[in-house]
Amino acid sequence: MRRDEDCNRFDHLIARRNLLIGAATGVIGMGVLSQASNAARLEQKQKRILQIYLQGGVSQLESWDPKPGTKYGGPFQAIPTSVPGIHVSELLPHTAKRMHLLSIVRSINSKIGDHRQGMLFMEKGRRAGEYPYFGSVASRYLAPADSELPGYIHITKRGINDSTAAFLGARHGQLKILGVQPPENLDAPPAIDASADLAREQLRVQFNQRFSQQRSRALTDVYNSSYEQAAKLMHRKGMFEGQESERDLDRYGRHDFGRHCLLARSLLENGATCVKVTHHGYDTHAENFNFHLEQLGEFDKTFSMLLDDIHDRGMLDSTLIMVYSEMGRTPKINTKYGRDHWGTAWSMAMGGCGIQPGAIVGKTSQDGTKVTDREVDAGHLFHTYLSALGLDSTEDHDFPGRSIPIADPAADPIEELLS
Amino acid sequence: MNRSATIDPANIHQVNEFKHPNPLTTLKADPTGRFVAAGAQDLDIQLWNLNDGHLETLTGHKSWVRSIDFSADGSRMYTACWAGTVKIWDLAGPSPELIRSLQTHQGSTRCVRVSPDGKAIATCGNDLLVKVWDIESGQRRQQFDGHQRHVYGVDFHPDGEHLVSQDLMGVSFVWNLKTNQQQRTIDASMMTGYDKKFAADMGGARDLRFNADGTQWASAGITKVVNSFAGIQDPIIVVFDWETGQATRQLKAADKFKGVAWGVQFHPQGFIIGAGAEKSGKGELWFYNVEQDEAFHTFAMKSAARGLDLVGKDRLAVAHADGAMRLYQMTEPASSDSDEEKPTETAKAEQKEKQ
Repeated sequence: MRRDEDCNRFDHLIARRNLLIGAATGVIGMGVLSQASNAARLEQKQKRILQIYLQGGVSQLESWDPKPGTKYGGPFQAIPTSVPGIHVSELLPHTAKRMHLLSIVRSINSKIGDHRQGMLFMEKGRRAGEYPYFGSVASRYLAPADSELPGYIHITKRGINDSTAAFLGARHGQLKILGVQPPENLDAPPAIDASADLAREQLRVQFNQRFSQQRSRALTDVYNSSYEQAAKLMHRKGMFEGQESERDLDRYGRHDFGRHCLLARSLLENGATCVKVTHHGYDTHAENFNFHLEQLGEFDKTFSMLLDDIHDRGMLDSTLIMVYSEMGRTPKINTKYGRDHWGTAWSMAMGGCGIQPGAIVGKTSQDGTKVTDREVDAGHLFHTYLSALGLDSTEDHDFPGRSIPIADPAADPIEELLS
Repeated sequence: MNRSATIDPANIHQVNEFKHPNPLTTLKADPTGRFVAAGAQDLDIQLWNLNDGHLETLTGHKSWVRSIDFSADGSRMYTACWAGTVKIWDLAGPSPELIRSLQTHQGSTRCVRVSPDGKAIATCGNDLLVKVWDIESGQRRQQFDGHQRHVYGVDFHPDGEHLVSQDLMGVSFVWNLKTNQQQRTIDASMMTGYDKKFAADMGGARDLRFNADGTQWASAGITKVVNSFAGIQDPIIVVFDWETGQATRQLKAADKFKGVAWGVQFHPQGFIIGAGAEKSGKGELWFYNVEQDEAFHTFAMKSAARGLDLVGKDRLAVAHADGAMRLYQMTEPASSDSDEEKPTETAKAEQKEKQ
């Protein structure tokens, strides 16, 4: 039997609770979408994901779970938010005003105090094994088949290249962009002009057709898909080069994170399914408080502007927002005014598509050293992301003859966080 | 103690210890030598009477106290915290009394200093501003705007007519209090660094003080940032010339010492004293003469230093990360100075508890 490697299985995976939600099969136009086509696509409710990854392990005490005046609370105050009763750190004044769009999970116990392992657990929802990152899963099951952009794009300043797609195939791997610039190798070699390039492409297609007449199409389809994706990217190279207005730069900030978030906005508006933006600088073994002042100062306003824009464009109910790290930081403050690695009791924020806004899930002890209510880990979070997007997290990946659950069967969604 | 003996930093030794349960954050000695006050990683101020060992704990701040100063006669104390508040305390009576609280900055107030005439205080903070306040009325006299990043340190020139402030990026300004103008810009950029790996700036004056005649000021902090997120950078004390505004000296610790210089003092005898915190958690005192930028004497301490002040001419008070305020004597040890022979305040308290 011939398998269609590129089939979009959203219809198979769509959660029963969301059967009435429109299918994610939008056709995406070229270039920056016109208002009309944008509206048309929004009508189709393509699901998207915005991941803001605070790399290094943001301190829960300086962000989502402040404990001022306690033994390990640190020097910062807690401030009220737009949701009565919910307080966050004073380092998040802009986010605090938008808390009614977000929810906080304060009871993550991942039991991992290591950057790499913590990141893999948060991305894969599993402690070990060759499983795809959430962004690749989203690309596989949510990205329109005819999408003009890769399904999973990561904007960062550095970092190693991971095989994020695992068995889902290269098409669903992460496209990493180092800053506001086009992906590498988009230009044709200088020695090949347009006519030579066309001839080369025709020859490739001819070989492919001959090859696939006698063999399985699966392999050539994947290659074809890669070529097609690359060709689309070449046509949309300009999108990655940054065309920010002065007004947007004033709002988002002229620093890297501001520009990266503007690019993320543009990509999401133009049909990208999962966009991850990494903000570095949270591994604060020394000077935790001064560094969080600086880093969260950058994050807070920029993230709030991006959240506003997603909301104002009518995209928030179809865009899952995740603000997360690979771990938290120790309540105990070391002699360098630092906080160290901590996987025992920490937090993240979510919002948008499928997420109950203005909620707090879980609780930590008064000194922040342990979870006292509703302990969850990255497995539960992974189920929750899927469920929020209307996917059935108990389903298997589509591999005939093999049972590979999309999410860890030992965990389940945080139901009270789902809208 | 042997206070009549010659002051020689080579003879420095610990003579007393006052222990607090939480790590200390800063420290200041009252100029009369009666009190040492310290902030800590809690909301209180510890005020030790050096004459009788009595401890007063002053409450009311909503965040950690990070800077303290005293009036010249020791009758007033000024404490600044991360919540942007400065509290003015009356120490003239039998017990300390709060006179007033001032909300001086939005965000943290990083430094407070009393003017030479004792009538005003200068503050700086995370709202990028430098301000001068009238002590008696509590009213703001002046506000100086010009820093682009958090302002870490400020001090009055002894002439009382100028201020120097320094921010995270090493930008320093001289402010003229008579004209309300920014008078000079000073380059202290050697005291900041961009951590490429973590994409963040690190720097700032952790202590900033003029010498007595106003010909120099010194700023303590960091330089040569390698990985500030792990505390890997060099401590530095930079001395600036008042006339030229130039950095004339860059005082260093030994190469192996990685961390932060948290305190600096000009000794009346002409040498400069620095205090630092090493990334391992230990501390050092450095003594510099006028001839060289390397310390002529280094004194190792078991815990990181977070504040330094002179008590009289012969003693140093140091705030430590292990919660102790320790006094160190810079004269030849007398038999009564020995830790083995004289119980520390901590030991006394522990003995009392056992009884």
